[in-house]
Amino acid sequence: MAERGDRGGFGRGFGGRGGGEGGRGRGRGERRGGRRGNKSEEEKWVPVTKLGRLVKSNNITSIEQIYLHSLPVKEHQIIDTLLKGLKDEVMKITPVQKQTRAGQRTRFKAFVVVGDGDGHVGLGVKCAKEVATAIRGAIILAKLSVIPVRRGYWGNKIGLPHTVPCKVTGKCGSVTVRMVPAPRGAGIVAARVPKKVLQFAGIEDVFTSSRGSTKTLGNFVKATFDCLMKTYGFLTPDFWTETRFSNSPYQQYTDLLSKPTTKALLPPTEEPLQAEA
Amino acid sequence: MGEVILAMPGQWAHDYREKADHYTSKIGGLPDWPDLDIPVSGKLLLCDFCGGKLCLVAQIYAPLSMAERSIDERVIYVLGCMKKDCGSNPQSWRVLRLQRCKQDIESKDEPLKAEQPEEESTSVAEDKPTSQSSSVKVCDDEDSDSDIDLDDLAQALEQAATLASNSKKQDGTKHTRKIVEGPVAKKLIDDLTTPVLPCFYIYSQRNSSEGRMDKANFVGGSSISLKEIEKSSGNESEGESWEGEAYEYDKALGADRTYLKFKKQLDAYPEQCFRYSYGGNALFPVANVPKLGACKICGSARRFELQLMPPLLYFLQEASDDSSNFSIDGWTWLTIIIFTCPKNCCSGTCDEKSSNSCRCIVEEEAIVIQDD
Repeated sequence: MAERGDRGGFGRGFGGRGGGEGGRGRGRGERRGGRRGNKSEEEKWVPVTKLGRLVKSNNITSIEQIYLHSLPVKEHQIIDTLLKGLKDEVMKITPVQKQTRAGQRTRFKAFVVVGDGDGHVGLGVKCAKEVATAIRGAIILAKLSVIPVRRGYWGNKIGLPHTVPCKVTGKCGSVTVRMVPAPRGAGIVAARVPKKVLQFAGIEDVFTSSRGSTKTLGNFVKATFDCLMKTYGFLTPDFWTETRFSNSPYQQYTDLLSKPTTKALLPPTEEPLQAEA
Repeated sequence: MGEVILAMPGQWAHDYREKADHYTSKIGGLPDWPDLDIPVSGKLLLCDFCGGKLCLVAQIYAPLSMAERSIDERVIYVLGCMKKDCGSNPQSWRVLRLQRCKQDIESKDEPLKAEQPEEESTSVAEDKPTSQSSSVKVCDDEDSDSDIDLDDLAQALEQAATLASNSKKQDGTKHTRKIVEGPVAKKLIDDLTTPVLPCFYIYSQRNSSEGRMDKANFVGGSSISLKEIEKSSGNESEGESWEGEAYEYDKALGADRTYLKFKKQLDAYPEQCFRYSYGGNALFPVANVPKLGACKICGSARRFELQLMPPLLYFLQEASDDSSNFSIDGWTWLTIIIFTCPKNCCSGTCDEKSSNSCRCIVEEEAIVIQDD
């Protein structure tokens, strides 16, 4: 703190810098109602968004409630809490180069797909200077992009859904991927790269056809992912009945908790505010 | 100038209405006004939108040391309204900056004598850069030397204890508090009509290097090891090659690049309650920022001072699960960014040469960024 000049002195105001690394382990002390004690830095999640707070307090138990209202998921810990069996896999790490005056600067681009094999899949792409950072970042981005995948039947509705409900097509760049329902036992008929995404999504049988420069495998993978996103966007006759709208979780829990309790709010009076110390 | 100081949560107050002094930084509770000639006007404490009473969200002791003068008695109060509809309305937030304009060294009849030692320690601090602990020592000496009656002794002890407990190492903190609270119980403020948020104190921490950020990002582990990567990259042979990849900015379905940068800073210190950086740059979670007004008194463009962060809401919400009349569920802000006048001007009534110090309250501006 040797610098003078125009600066705020907030840190100087009480100088509690003795905390440092130990301060965090201090815990929050007691309070009425009890609270969890000290936790290590890595385990404790402090939610940032309203949705995160609702998930942390177990007001939202299933991820389908989030999908129903199309709420944007901004914290990957939400997905971690709601989807427990999520597996991840690195599809590819490629070096990406940029020409600078001092030579070439190489960064690594990681493609990661996450999924639980039962209708939820996510794809993350991250560029970073180190491979490990890129992979970590890509896993987080993949978790933020988890989408539901709709599965249906090819013919008889016997057993569980196993294929896409209808013909859907997705596009990214010049690559278009078309998925066509297949009978049981056909397996995933696709190139090696999109096959992985479809396996993570939980689709058992599908015929695919692609067009465009599928050599750009980044676009190929994104086109497949886009195709899967559209499975729930397709209006089939099952959805012809009137929708019964329900309250979004934000409203549901705000109304619940802001109900006036037995201690009524005191009416505003005109007493002067006591300002003396 | 650009360094960022983070405010980390400290101890909870034993009672949410307990009285501290205006040198403490805290979240929630009732505002600690310093000794004022004119009490704070009622209008400033009412919500612009619904007319109800505002509650204190944060009280930050932020002294300044500028080239021409240093303002040691400068406190920023952030007030908000807890009613349902006011939560998302920027009009229902108010930021007050309260500072003492003149440096009164020879004030005799101040009821709060504890301020006198603070004066003298100020002049000491200006001569050489001292750490806070040394100014606390000066304060203590002055306390013992001057003759004060018992009430002021209690208040002075409280104040010294607050400063001392905040500046000592955290091992000593609990110990000091126990000693202090034996003979002197914390007084409660007698104000039952104002809504009160759960109260906890704040300690400051420097924003350290990026080594932390990489560590913090690695939450939740990964099932991938580097060996597997080498294996998988060896596997692809059959004429597949990933061509034409270029650098790509981070993007996710619900989060854009600006928000992800904001989140990265948060993940480095997940418990930060607010970020203080006088004259520095704010951390915006969205790209479009509404325009700022200019200072009403001097007309100069306002400058960033501090911003409140979402973990604060989380802590308050956790604490107010039981026993509260008011709920803050209507608050869905991602951050509240506070801008203050760079010249620290006063409201213009301070030119009289009175023996009493004059304090002025100036309203500053806050931008509330909502979480959509």
